Amino acid sequence: MKRPITAALAVIGYVIMIVPIIFVVATAFTAGSTLRFPPEGISLRWFDEALGYEPFIEAAISSLGLAVLATALALLVGVPVTLAIHRGKLPGKGLVEGLFLSPLIVPELVVGLALYQQLMIGMDLDNFSTLLVGHTALMLPYAVRVTGASLALADPALEEAARGLGASPLRAFFTVTLPVLRPGIFSAGLLSMVTSVNNVPLSLLLQGRDFRTLPVTMLDYVQQSYDPMVAAASTLILAATVVIAVIAERTVGFAKIFGGINQ
Amino acid sequence: MTAAAELIGVTQRFGSFTAVDEIDLAVPSGKLTTLLGPSGCGKTTTLRMIAGYSAPTSGTIRIAGIDSTRTPPEKRNLGMVFQSYALFPHMTVADNVGYGLKLRKVPSAERRLRVMETLELVGLAHLADRKPKKLSGGQQQRVALARAIAIRPKLLLLDEPLSNLDARLRVQMRAELRRIQAETKLTVILVTHDQDEALEMSDAMVIMNEGRIVQQGSPQQVFPRPADRFVAEFLGYENFLTAADGTPLTIRPEHLHIVEKGHGLDATVVDVAFRGVDLLVSLDVVDPSGATVRLLADVRSGATLTPGSGVTVIAPDDHLVSLPR
Ligand SMILES: Nc1ncnc2c1ncn2[C@@H]1O[C@H](COP(=O)(O)OP(=O)(O)OP(=O)(O)O)[C@@H](O)[C@H]1O
Ligand SMILES: [Mg+2]
Repeated sequence: MKRPITAALAVIGYVIMIVPIIFVVATAFTAGSTLRFPPEGISLRWFDEALGYEPFIEAAISSLGLAVLATALALLVGVPVTLAIHRGKLPGKGLVEGLFLSPLIVPELVVGLALYQQLMIGMDLDNFSTLLVGHTALMLPYAVRVTGASLALADPALEEAARGLGASPLRAFFTVTLPVLRPGIFSAGLLSMVTSVNNVPLSLLLQGRDFRTLPVTMLDYVQQSYDPMVAAASTLILAATVVIAVIAERTVGFAKIFGGINQ
Repeated sequence: MTAAAELIGVTQRFGSFTAVDEIDLAVPSGKLTTLLGPSGCGKTTTLRMIAGYSAPTSGTIRIAGIDSTRTPPEKRNLGMVFQSYALFPHMTVADNVGYGLKLRKVPSAERRLRVMETLELVGLAHLADRKPKKLSGGQQQRVALARAIAIRPKLLLLDEPLSNLDARLRVQMRAELRRIQAETKLTVILVTHDQDEALEMSDAMVIMNEGRIVQQGSPQQVFPRPADRFVAEFLGYENFLTAADGTPLTIRPEHLHIVEKGHGLDATVVDVAFRGVDLLVSLDVVDPSGATVRLLADVRSGATLTPGSGVTVIAPDDHLVSLPR
């Protein structure tokens, strides 16, 4: 009784997620000039247009820059915090971990609004710096969880073995612990970059005239003109995301990463 | 003889739980000492205190005569083989073995030489450039051993080094470890919960129970004279009876004889299990104190025994061990 229902739900779930994506990808390859399904003929002209459309390129560079910086910051804060949570004798470990995971739960609009009020209005920060703070906060759960997952998998005796062989705690950390965590940190980085690039709510709320991310620019564009160039740009982003996801999966494995998050 | 390591009144508490309770132990230099005991008796905890991974709650640990109770592990120069082996997964076999030498700033040419020497000692020189993941359990175990030996440690500490290996390999490795110990003349402390392993390998054995040392000595001293019922049971003494004066006695199944009639203890055969070379016979025996006890006798096959038949059991005096009351 239970099985067929679960299976049906899974199928419905996949259909709901995938069908719209198929529509977008299909319309991106149209030879016609309207966003319509089925596409009229097949061509790559809209990809050409998208790659030549300056606001998109500029925004893509901004998005990437933001993603790289936010990810670096998130890892720089998240990795040591994770180590402290898992290995250290930190009082209130649970509280600290909860704090660093909370961006997963708190609605992004709330985070965005808070940052807008406190940083942009309150402290007169420019919108790039505010976005950077926002995205970094958003990426932290990935850094904490993925690093935590690989730390949980790593044998705690490794560090002790290094100590026994003559390594100081610092030496043991840099020659053994960190290299063992590297694949986990690498996937955490990839995932948080994808999350940052694809983020809309925060980027929308904190946008400014001088700094706009790609999704926000695309949204603006759709509001004015409804042609297949946006579909082509979306398809490119989708392709890049898939490639990155595959790399992340190969290095650590989603099951482990999301097993950690859903714990 | 000088002790390579000495534990004086060493106690380890975790909260209100006492894992190791005031133990005194002298580990003889150049010998193989086993710490033997059931799961949870505090063997690993003791080894970890000797290695410096956890400080005792109280007591003193001397290594080579020097008080090392609070010395961090990296300053002790001891070789430890962990139960999980703990090989560095991102390094080759040679780099694993050379890790301690690199930290000691041994020049690379000499390092390479010593790494290969040590790998040869454990029979793994041909795998020097492999990553640990690509090795079998037995090979990983040898790498862990080589890595610990390469630094020429004052003590070699082995935490159940053989328990992750399959039965046949385990028996082979006992001899192999003995050979390596003899060749290197290292002082070895080996933790195990396998009494056969301990009996076969030890120069000295230390039997622990519930955080205390219950008996120590050479296998030849300990095996025939278990100090109490716990040690006796642990060493495979399955029969417990009481002497006429109330003294508890124990005897191994293989030391009981069964005769049809004679001067001994009256018994009734309960069950006979055929085991190939021998028969395992359970009997209800009237012991010297008059109580009826269930005993096991391990006798050569050929005897014609059937459940229900009355027999006489002989428990030779020289094999009967008296235990404290
Ligand atoms: N860090 C710790 N915190 C709390 N209790 C601990 C800790 N380490 C060990 N113990 C407890 O101390 C007791 C002894 O543990 P230990 O690991 O020394 O046993 P062992 O003799 O090595 O057993 P095994 O054969 O199962 O490895 C156990 O009851 C264990 O649960
Ligand atoms: Mg143990």
